[in-house]
Amino acid sequence: MSDLLTAGHAFLAVMRRDLTVYLSYRTRLVSQALTSVFSVTLFYYVSRLVHVSGFRSPNSYFGFVVVGISMVSVMYSCFSIPELLRQELVAGTFDRLLLSPFGAVRSVIAMTIFPVLYSFILAATTLALGCVLFGLHLHWSTVPLSVPAMALALLAFLPFGLLFAALTVVVKQGSVGTSWVIALLSIVGGLYFPVSLLPHWVGTAAKLQPFTAATSVLRHLLVGSSLGESPGSALAKLALFTVVLVPGSIFVLSRAISFGQRRGTIIEY
Amino acid sequence: MTSSSIEAPVPAAALGERRANVAPAALQVNDSDAFPLAIKNVTKRWRKGQAAVLDNLDLALAPGTLTWVGGRNGAGKTTMLRIAAGLIEPEQGCAEVWGVSARENRLRYQALVSFLPAGDRGLYARLTVRRQLEFCARISMMPHSQVHRSVEEAIDAFDLRELADRRVDRMSMGQRQRLRIAMTFLPRPETVLLDEPLTSLDGEGTALLLQAVGQLLSRDGVVLWCSPSSEDVDLTFDTHWLIDRGRLTPL
Repeated sequence: MSDLLTAGHAFLAVMRRDLTVYLSYRTRLVSQALTSVFSVTLFYYVSRLVHVSGFRSPNSYFGFVVVGISMVSVMYSCFSIPELLRQELVAGTFDRLLLSPFGAVRSVIAMTIFPVLYSFILAATTLALGCVLFGLHLHWSTVPLSVPAMALALLAFLPFGLLFAALTVVVKQGSVGTSWVIALLSIVGGLYFPVSLLPHWVGTAAKLQPFTAATSVLRHLLVGSSLGESPGSALAKLALFTVVLVPGSIFVLSRAISFGQRRGTIIEY
Repeated sequence: MTSSSIEAPVPAAALGERRANVAPAALQVNDSDAFPLAIKNVTKRWRKGQAAVLDNLDLALAPGTLTWVGGRNGAGKTTMLRIAAGLIEPEQGCAEVWGVSARENRLRYQALVSFLPAGDRGLYARLTVRRQLEFCARISMMPHSQVHRSVEEAIDAFDLRELADRRVDRMSMGQRQRLRIAMTFLPRPETVLLDEPLTSLDGEGTALLLQAVGQLLSRDGVVLWCSPSSEDVDLTFDTHWLIDRGRLTPL
């Protein structure tokens, strides 16, 4: 039990470290807030042009896309882990994590806590800006349910960050792959437009990753978009992704670190 | 690891007298259970077909001893330390602490061994000295009740009190090196591996390092000190080795 508690404190220490480093760059918070304001503004005016059968009104598309923008920030957070790991490799601090009793794998997992919590706050801020600045109508009766749904979605997304972190350990350039993966997932995840517009085979591919299901569930809970299936079944899909991908990605990360230690490339950056 | 607090500094002279009792004899690596660090038959090549950086290297350190390993640049000192620390794995052989390798029990191994790499890396530039030490204590899995006391003791032991709330990127190289050394000794390891530890240190910093080394030896810990030359430090080593072409030769 005391070991568990000590490990818990180590997890919190990593989170506190990341928070401290983040706050030490004072303009970052302002810059991020401005990005959210301008994104919401941009898509509000784009939504004014939307008069298509898929959406009842421009406001309907605005609600759709604001949830999509929120999910993009979550996606970016998950995929920031490889870059954070690369910074650790370059600074030589990863060696210290690797040589600590807490260990490298747990340290990398702990490194996901701050970005994930931060993305959660950022997503909420984006929605709030949509409400305050442009009168986005939220379905308040189901908004509280979006919190556990979002938590489950984050758990389902995290393995992607961990897999790219494993890639970074091996090839030292994991962040190169993340930008196109984010762009691809933005398309197949239906973040800016409905997946139904995609060719049939791409639509099928969209079902093979958790971002589409998560975005659909959150849209349903936050702005009342139709789901096409029961919320329970969509959440079960997310849970399945989590159960399969989380242990799998941790295993891959652990093997990547062992590989680097065997080859001696763990010290390279 | 023990949980007692950091002791009062040991005068360098007393350190020399105490260690005079330790015989600098070659030790039998085979009985590795008896050593706080044993490097057994270690061979390392960076690429297949290349010459070995370390070639069937054996080294055992008896409790309470201070060992120096020297050699020209690129001789394999740092590679040996990295293998002993558990950072990289050898192609053949292993490093063991009390008969246990990092592969067998990484948690125990890392709790007993602490490594100061050469250079000035391994610090978070935007964290203060105190935060850095706290972080180090946490990832060392130090019990919560001991963290605050250990951090404050490390701050005092390495004369970092005035710098405690200063960010690392605002410190001089010598001050950073003192912090790196403090982080190395903070978890109270039994085995300390030092790679060119005097880099950027002034006389005062060197004296603080020697005090820490003396305290560790007095509780039967071991120190493996690697540097190109042993003449630049006012310290009596129990054993001297030279590494050349991946092999150790006693001096």
